[in-house]
Amino acid sequence: MIDAPGPWGTGPFVLTEGVSLIDSRSDRVVMEPNTTYWNPARKPTVRIVYDNVIGKAEGIKSVAAGDGRVDVVFDLTPDEAHAFPASEHGRIQTKKAKTILTGVFNENRPDSPWRDPEARQAINLAIDQAFVLEHGAHGYGTVIPAFIQPGRYGADPDMKPMPHDPEGAKRTLDGLGLGGRELVFVASPAWKGVVEAIGQCLAKVGLGCRFVSDRGDLPDDFDVKLEWYFDWTPQYPVACVHREFFGCDATLRQGPEDPKFDALYDKLLHTPEAETEGVVREVERYLQDEAKALFLYSPFTLFAVSDRVAFTPYDTCMSELAETRIQG
Amino acid sequence: MDAQATGDPGGGQPWGPHNTVTVVDPSPVNWLSITWNTMEEANRVDHDGIGQPSLAESWRWLDGETLELKMRDAVYQDGEPFDAAMFKLGFDKVQEWTNPHPPGAFLNFARDVTCDAVDDRTVRMRFPGGDSAALMKLRGMHLPSTRFWNEWGFVDPKTGSAEGHW
Repeated sequence: MIDAPGPWGTGPFVLTEGVSLIDSRSDRVVMEPNTTYWNPARKPTVRIVYDNVIGKAEGIKSVAAGDGRVDVVFDLTPDEAHAFPASEHGRIQTKKAKTILTGVFNENRPDSPWRDPEARQAINLAIDQAFVLEHGAHGYGTVIPAFIQPGRYGADPDMKPMPHDPEGAKRTLDGLGLGGRELVFVASPAWKGVVEAIGQCLAKVGLGCRFVSDRGDLPDDFDVKLEWYFDWTPQYPVACVHREFFGCDATLRQGPEDPKFDALYDKLLHTPEAETEGVVREVERYLQDEAKALFLYSPFTLFAVSDRVAFTPYDTCMSELAETRIQG
Repeated sequence: MDAQATGDPGGGQPWGPHNTVTVVDPSPVNWLSITWNTMEEANRVDHDGIGQPSLAESWRWLDGETLELKMRDAVYQDGEPFDAAMFKLGFDKVQEWTNPHPPGAFLNFARDVTCDAVDDRTVRMRFPGGDSAALMKLRGMHLPSTRFWNEWGFVDPKTGSAEGHW
């Protein structure tokens, strides 16, 4: 990361004021167009000012009011986008980005029921993914079979989302002695509506559901933790996303290492680049066959955007702004 | 700092609301967006999520272990020319650290990977045993100017280390 402004790179913008680090940011970070940029297709025409003081809620209000303080707000929650008022000055812009919202089963304890693929699969069968997307996230997303959106690099065209089979799910859960339990779902407050919709699905198979915010300490006895994640890579999703959930060096894994996943990842790394897509599909099928997670959907990225701006969002979820223009 | 270095829109045109876009980005990876807006790498990912050439205008695998990249004719914001030697400098710098990338060690090149500037425009990287993640890793290998390396080099002034600070 860059600890001081300066003409350090070859990129489309010059960092002229402020810094943005992992643990701190200047009140303003300013980037001005690089007049000598080599790529005419990405040559900026505007200065960018990141306002790190005003905050998201006030920024959204500013876009709706058209008061000129803010032009683009990133990373709205589904509720924030849904609540955006009818406005003559701004709009909600969506992007089918390379994202996932998925549930990580708590397999940390040796006696965890979620170490059993049959139990994990039953929870997946209990969930109506389209219902959760519509009622929990106002429809802002795409239902996906595992971790990759249909049509993307590595997506298996023969893979479909898991079926919704509440009867089958209930049979299995009862058979495993899990019927009647209250499941604890840990999630960001942004996904509380999603957990509530999941709860409606689970009620139909005789399970309870309790939301716990991830802003506090993670309780030992939680069942599922919802995680949002994104893929910034040039067609190498397994390293960025799948590995982060299941790899030996995963930061989001909630259970023991998985030698089968690690073997698939190693196979991918040693496959010639031109042949990797087949291995990525193999990884996707492994995830679904083993019900490695609670598969939900790929959330759209959501932005509040002033009508005076032509904004080009990136599928990588990064705020790369070279193509963003003032309208007219 | 002269007009070229600051990206002055030209002729002293002042910055104002008419040519400024104000952004609120609460993303925890905003730091990386700032880097990718101002510095570049061999390759990038476009707004549709597809890998594209950037400071390398092309590349090809000569065999299962050797990647050859052709560098673009580009100039740093401070006027320094970019060439294959600058790519190699970036590689040598990142290899000085054990775990420089905040996202994790999966972005590291193996210790036995080598990089040679064959001429002003051509780089050959050798990956013993092969590495299909090479281009993903190159996306995280920033290529700043000599002045940046001399003055900052991704070293955190608070710790004196570049580990986790690339």
